[in-house]
Formats: sequence, C-alpha cells, structure tokens
Amino acid sequence: MSDYFFELLTEEIPAWMLDSALSALRASLAKVVAQTGAAESSVTIDVNATSRRIAFFLGNLPEKQADHADTVKGPPKKAAYDASGNPTQALHGFLRKNNATLDDVADGGDYVLLNRNVAGRATADILQELIPQTIESIRWPKMMRWSTGESSYIRPIHSVVSLLSQDGIGTYLPIALFGVASGTTTVGHRTLAPKRFEVKSYGEYLRDLELARVIVDPQRRKQAMAAAALACAKEVDGAPSDDPSIWSQWQYLTEYPGVVRAEFRREYLALPEEVLVTVMRVHQKQLPIRDAHGRLTNSFLAVLDNEGDPEKNAAYGNSFVTNARFADAQFFYATDRRRKLEERVEQLSHLQFQEKLGDYRAKTERIVAIAKGICETIGLDAADALTAAGLCKTDLVTEMVKEFTDLQGRIGGIYAREEGLADNVWQAIYDHYMPVSLEDELPRTITGAIVSLADRIDTLAGFFAIGAKPSGSKDPFALRRAAQGVVQILLNRDKREVKIGIDRLIDLGIAAQQRATTPALKADLLAFFAERVRTILEASAWKFAYDEVAAAMEAGWASSLTDLVDRVQAVKTMRDEPGFLSILDSAKRIANITAGHDATRVDPSRLEHDTERRLAELADVVTGQIDELVTERQYRSALESFAAMAPELETFFKDVMVMVDDESVRRNRMSLLRKVGGAVMKIADVTKIVVDRRDYRP
Amino acid sequence: MSRMTFQSMILRLQTFWAERGCMIETPVDLEVGAGTMHPATFLRVLGPEPWNVAYVQPSRRPADGRYGDNPFRLGKHYQFQVILKPSPLEVQELYLDSLRALGLDLTKHDIRFEEDNWESPTLGAWGVGWQILLDGMEITQFTYFQQAGGIDLTPISAEITYGLERLTMFLARQNSVYDIDWTTGVRYGNVRTQDEYEFSKYYFEVADVDLHWKLFDAYEGEARRCLEAKLVLPAYDWTLKCSHIFNTLDARGAVSVTERVGVIKRVRELAVACAHQFLAAREELGFPLLQKTDV
Repeated sequence: MSDYFFELLTEEIPAWMLDSALSALRASLAKVVAQTGAAESSVTIDVNATSRRIAFFLGNLPEKQADHADTVKGPPKKAAYDASGNPTQALHGFLRKNNATLDDVADGGDYVLLNRNVAGRATADILQELIPQTIESIRWPKMMRWSTGESSYIRPIHSVVSLLSQDGIGTYLPIALFGVASGTTTVGHRTLAPKRFEVKSYGEYLRDLELARVIVDPQRRKQAMAAAALACAKEVDGAPSDDPSIWSQWQYLTEYPGVVRAEFRREYLALPEEVLVTVMRVHQKQLPIRDAHGRLTNSFLAVLDNEGDPEKNAAYGNSFVTNARFADAQFFYATDRRRKLEERVEQLSHLQFQEKLGDYRAKTERIVAIAKGICETIGLDAADALTAAGLCKTDLVTEMVKEFTDLQGRIGGIYAREEGLADNVWQAIYDHYMPVSLEDELPRTITGAIVSLADRIDTLAGFFAIGAKPSGSKDPFALRRAAQGVVQILLNRDKREVKIGIDRLIDLGIAAQQRATTPALKADLLAFFAERVRTILEASAWKFAYDEVAAAMEAGWASSLTDLVDRVQAVKTMRDEPGFLSILDSAKRIANITAGHDATRVDPSRLEHDTERRLAELADVVTGQIDELVTERQYRSALESFAAMAPELETFFKDVMVMVDDESVRRNRMSLLRKVGGAVMKIADVTKIVVDRRDYRP
Repeated sequence: MSRMTFQSMILRLQTFWAERGCMIETPVDLEVGAGTMHPATFLRVLGPEPWNVAYVQPSRRPADGRYGDNPFRLGKHYQFQVILKPSPLEVQELYLDSLRALGLDLTKHDIRFEEDNWESPTLGAWGVGWQILLDGMEITQFTYFQQAGGIDLTPISAEITYGLERLTMFLARQNSVYDIDWTTGVRYGNVRTQDEYEFSKYYFEVADVDLHWKLFDAYEGEARRCLEAKLVLPAYDWTLKCSHIFNTLDARGAVSVTERVGVIKRVRELAVACAHQFLAAREELGFPLLQKTDV
C-alpha cells in the first residue's frame, strides 16, 4: 500500500476563500484516487490548510492499477487481409504499433480487433500527472501574477513537498507547480519558527510542524481558539458572542491559533449596540464579549497568529484601533442626530441609485407609491407604511452609514426611534433590508414587510426595465437575492402575512417606474420570479419535489404563494395515496385525447349515450364540489373528489367513442372531458407528476 | 530604547531599504494623494526594466482633513513607499526584516497579512495584496501591481507603503498623532497643526470653486498639448495637478455624483495616455535599465 503527502506553501490566502477551495480540492482528489483504482471507502483523504499553506494526505492507495483487458479497434477487414486472406502490410503495421501478434487478433465484424492485457499504471505515475493539474486548476475567485508574471494563481508559490511512501518507506515524488519543482522541506511559523526542515512522512510532518508553531488542521485551530476565547471571556465573567461567521474567518487567518482579550473605553457602551457590534465584527473581525445577561461588555476578543501576548502588545493594539473607530462612531452618532431623518430626504436627490434609474429621492418616491398600492390591495391603513417608506433610505446620507455601510437600515431605524417615531414606523425602517438570506428572519411587522417588498420590487422592475437583468453567474446588483426576499416574505402566513400576489406586485413595481415598457418586461419578471419560487420551495423545510412544485405551478402561482404551497402540499400528500394512480391516469387520458381542444361547454341535448349523460351529471356535481373546496383551499379533499369520478370515467372510455366522425358530437364529448379534467387543473397539472407504478401495487 | 521618533523611523527605513539595493528617491515635488502617483512608481512599474526604489511621499487627501482636531486623521500624511520590481519571492520576509530593523521583536507581536486589494480608477490601475496588521492595527499596505494605466504589467512590482505616523504613534504608545516626536524636542503637532487647520479650512470652505474648475480644464489642456508634443513627463505632471484639483473640488463638495464619474474618466484618460507614451519612450531608448543589470 502507498501513502501520498503533499504540501503547498504560498503567501497569505484570503481567509474567506479557503473553505470552499478545500471542499473543491477534496472532490478533485477523490477523482484522482478513483484513477488509481482504489476503492473510495478504503482510502483516507485528509485535506488541511492554514493562512498560507495547503496540505493533504492520501492514505492506503494501491501501488498500481490492476492489469486489465482492453480491446483496440484496427483497420477494416478489407484492408487487413488480401484477396486470399493473408494479412496485409496495414495489419502488420497495426500489430507492430500495438506490440501485438497475429494470435491477439479477434473478430470484430467488419473490423479487426485486438485483445490485449494492459498493465495497470503505477500510482506514482498517475499522481505525478494529476496532482499538479489538480492544484493548478483550483478556481480561486481572484487570481494574481507575481515576479516575472508568467503564472497566475491565488498567491505566489514558494515551495512544494511531494512524498510517496510505499509500505512505510518514503520516497520523494518529483512534481512541479507553475515551474516550481517540488522538494522535501517546508518552513514553520513566519515569526515564531521560520526555519526550513525536512519532511519524511505525514505523521512526522504534523508533529514537526506543530513544534514549529503551525497547526495545519483548521478544525483543531478552531477548537483551540474556541477554548481560549472561553477562558479569556471568563476573566471578565462573560462569554464570547455566538458568531459562526467570525469563527470561519478566524480559523484561516492564522497558522497558530491565538486569542487575546482587549478592552475599549467604557463610555462607548452608550453607543447603540448595533454600532458597536458592527464595528467590531465587520470592520475589525473581533468578537464581542457579553455578560451573564447577554449585555455587551467593554471587553472583546481578537484573533492572534501567535501563542500568546506576553507583553500585551496585541491587547494594546486592538484596544487602540477599536477605540479610534468608536471615537469616529461616537462623533457620527452625535452629528447625525442633529438633523432629523425627514430633513435628509432632500439630500437623497444627490445620491445616485443607478445611472438610468435616478437618485435615491426618486427611488424613495417609487417605494412610497408601491407601498401605497400594496396597502390598498390588501386593505391595510397605509399611514405607517408610507411614513416608513418615505424615510427608509435617509440613513444613506448619514455619516454613520457612509463610514459603516453595513449599518444601513438599522441605523435609520435607531435614529427614527430616537426621534420618537412610532414603534411600527422605526421598526419598519430598521427591518426593511430583511431578509438578507434564506436563513435570515423576516421584518418583525407587516409594515416592515410591506416596505421591504416595495423596495425590492422597485429595484427588480427598475433593473429589468433598463435591460440589466442577471445572466448566468453574473448578478452584480444581487437581483436574485432581492427576488428571493420577496418570495420569502410572501410565503409567510402569520400576523405579518401580506396577502398580495407576485403578479400584482410586479404591476405595482412596473407602474412606479413611470417609463415606457413592453409586455415582455412583465413576462421576464414573472419568469425570473417563477425560477426563485421553484428553487425556494424545493429547498424548503417542506421538502417538495421538483415535479410536485411544477405540477402545482402549472395551475397558477402568481396570485398567491401561500395558496401555491397549499396546492403543492395536497399533491405531495395525495401522491402517496393508493388512489393517486386513478387521478393521474384519468388526467393523462383526458389530456391526451383533448390536446388542442379548449372548450368546456357541454350541450346536454347532444349527449347520446347513457354513460356520457351519467358522466355529465356527475361532472356537474363534482366540479361544483371541487370549486367549493378550491375556494376554501381544501385541495386534498378536492383531489379526492376528483378521484371519485375515476370509475365513471373508466366506463365512459370503455363505452363511448370520443373521436367520432360527427364533429359536433365529437366536440361535445371533448368538452365534457375538458370539463372533468379542468376541475383538477385548478389545483395542479397532475400529469407532470412522475410515478413509479410499482409503488402503488396493493 | 529611547522613544521612537518620526524621523528616526524614516532614517531607519531608508537605511534598511538602501542596504537591500533600493535607490533612495525624493518625494515628487507636486501635490499627490499617495506615493503610488510618484512617477517613480506609476511610470516605472511599466515595462520590463528592473526598478528598486524607496522614498518618503507627503500625501495630500483634502477630504481627510479634520482642522487638526482628530488624533488619527490628517489632510496630509507621510507615506514611506518601496517598489521592488520584479517582486522578489522573499519580499514578505524582507518586509518583516524591516520591522525588525525598527526594533520590533516579532515573536512578541502579532503580524498578519489580511486580504486587501487596491484599485485606482483615476490611474487605471489595480493590484492584489494585503493590509498588514501589527497587533490588529493596519500599518502597511502591500500590493502586487497587476495593471497600471490600463496596461497589464510584466514583470510584476511589489509596492510596500508604510503609514509613517500610525507606525510611530503605535510604537511610541501615543494616542494622538500630534503628540509623536518628530525629533527629540519637536513634536509632530508643533510642525503640522497649523497647516492641518489652514488647509482644512481652505479645502472645505475657502477654495475658489470656479477657479478650480478653470484650472482643471486648463491643466487638462496643457497635459494634452504635452502628449501631442511627445513630452510624457511634463504631461504626467499636469495629470497629477488635475488629480489634485479634482480632490480639492471633491472636498469642497463641488462635484456632483454625475459629474464625478466624468471627471475621474478625464483624469484616467490622461494617466492611461501617459502610461502608453512612457512605455513607448522607454522602448525607443532600448529599455536602458535592462542593460545595466547585466554588469
């Protein structure tokens, strides 16, 4: 058995890139391992990284691929043998080329075939070929050139270690990355143990590197930092704030995991918590410490690429910068509150939203108009929503947001609260950028939800109207996220439910643009939203399947998303019922026979057959029932009612010929079938559901 | 060790980089926002010729002025700029050695290189690199230049920019830039407070907007005339003047959002033209510094 070890030493790689780069690397290495012929389950793949090195270990590889039989297609028989059946020069040449003899030739129809045993490739060969490709082809989000500028990678490459050991005996396996030849040495921590040392095996590497103050396993660094953070926070009877995003950055910011506690001046605790937390987290990558009641303390934690801070230099430095930042924030907080938000509306006309979409004052007016339209549609008193909508962007011209952009919305809400505006108003301003992700919470009030919807639909309608819709992976204005937020809000059905359809919302958004538009604009927006709806429903906790969502959307989705969810839910439940096959078969049969026909008006006088008359009567009753159930959104019961028609429909198809020559009779029968089929189409196009019939066997 | 002074910081950095083969330049004698705009950086990073240089550059950023009131922000600060072309593989180690030369025992401090890329729309330039944090505080900007004047660079230069005031303030454990010693007995505040106040007042309140717009037009015209006369260095001087005039108008609040994009574009067009013409001129001369390295 063979083990392979690889290390790439570079310069500091942006911390946020490493997690996904390592996952991608792990996936490519699994493919390399597969090439060696090893069973995936028996191989160890260990991938690690620090701020400036990537190291991996492949354990338990075979020494070579198994030998295997292979066939090679040769020349056509006509060319391989002459008239008397003797081998030609062409055949001899082919055999020579493949190092084979006439005995190896097999019959391959019109062609000559060669059967031969191929010796498996040595793992060493495969690794030498594939490892450099694998590493060089990692797709980093932003590449650079260095020195003579010939190569392009995430950061300059310093050294490469490549070792293949067989049965415990290590050998150097030479490879080259961007012209840098591999060797057998690496270095320790930049400042604590910068000496070069020899690497003999993965085990010794881990040990020696740790002595040289590098812990290469990111999980271990994270654990060490978490433990240190707890201990530091305990010194002041506090606990580190819970913040996964900080941890994921910290673990790749260092080679040796250290944490230091520092303090800022107590007077800054008078600043809003949002400001303090944003400055520390986003701008300083620091972690606030909270007391037993969850309140912020004037202590915080900072990451350190060092084992300790014996002279308190890092504590001093971190306090120094954080105090300086808070001094700025305190100044902004005091200055900003000297002017009311409503006095800033005028200033918004100097702040551009988008070149063709005007300034933020114009955007504000559009948000207000849309919010008004939403309130009218859902019959809600608009006063608070309009006040909030009119002020929601004013914090963009505050000093605080100019310096700390992440505070947008929230700081406007805080200023509105300080001005004494109603809870419903300031909270709506505060929340109107929510939800920022699928995991994020929704605005806490219906007023906030309305302002958020109005802002988003204005942005979407505006950008689509100027032809700036996203394409492929390019979405510079984050329009997908904007639409996703709309869908999230409209799916909600608690006291904040905004009972409006996307269709109506798009109309309001387009109308607010006050520019000439084409029907294609609305169609584009609908298609864009449809895609988001599908994606979100499939990824949701409901675990809806693709065909369930597609079936229900076929019956309409743009007038109400909660209604759509009810219908998908009904389809999802029903498809597991034994009666579902009869629903599906009926609907499919009707769809096939009536394709291209669209009338549903049945003329009773032209019904000739008893069976069809019975079906017509039943259809009257059942469609009436279904309509009623649909109105009450009792979709499951509605589907069951439809299923009840199946036996009669069966008889109909047996007894009655639909495709008769008499056109009026034929049309009447098709209309009857359409009427029956149409009943279920109000819920979902069940013919889109893909079933495995074996699942329905009694 | 006696308290670090502003000038001993400069002297030590100059000595350090001179000993490592850098030519010690003097500041460009025009108003610029950063050491990057010095022809010794912006023009010399172009083309194949090797270039290792270090210099102090007073950097004027009118909008950053605070009338001498803010202990951290200045309308004019001093950068120590190093260009190493091509970037040596051990450039980060050299940088760490320069901190050691300033008397820092790096085993007792936290040094980190955190991603921070640089882009200058007015120069048509961008680069990839880090902000270097000493104990959590940014003391240096480190950039591998990828493009300047819209031209892809080969070889690549490493630019190291030390913030001299911050570094001195931090090493001397002082809480205001005005308290640091320029030299023993003379504080930074003694030398600089008056001009921080006067220039803040000038840039924010007094500068004649109409005159500055006229100057901008006139300087731009003169830069173009120089370009036509194939006098790229004078053209670049006038380009720098345009850039400073733009910064002044911006601080004065005289540039609207829509104008802004247009004005930046005008400066960039000059910078790009200068870059192309400088490169052509060096080529015509046979890239003299290429030969020199063979000696």
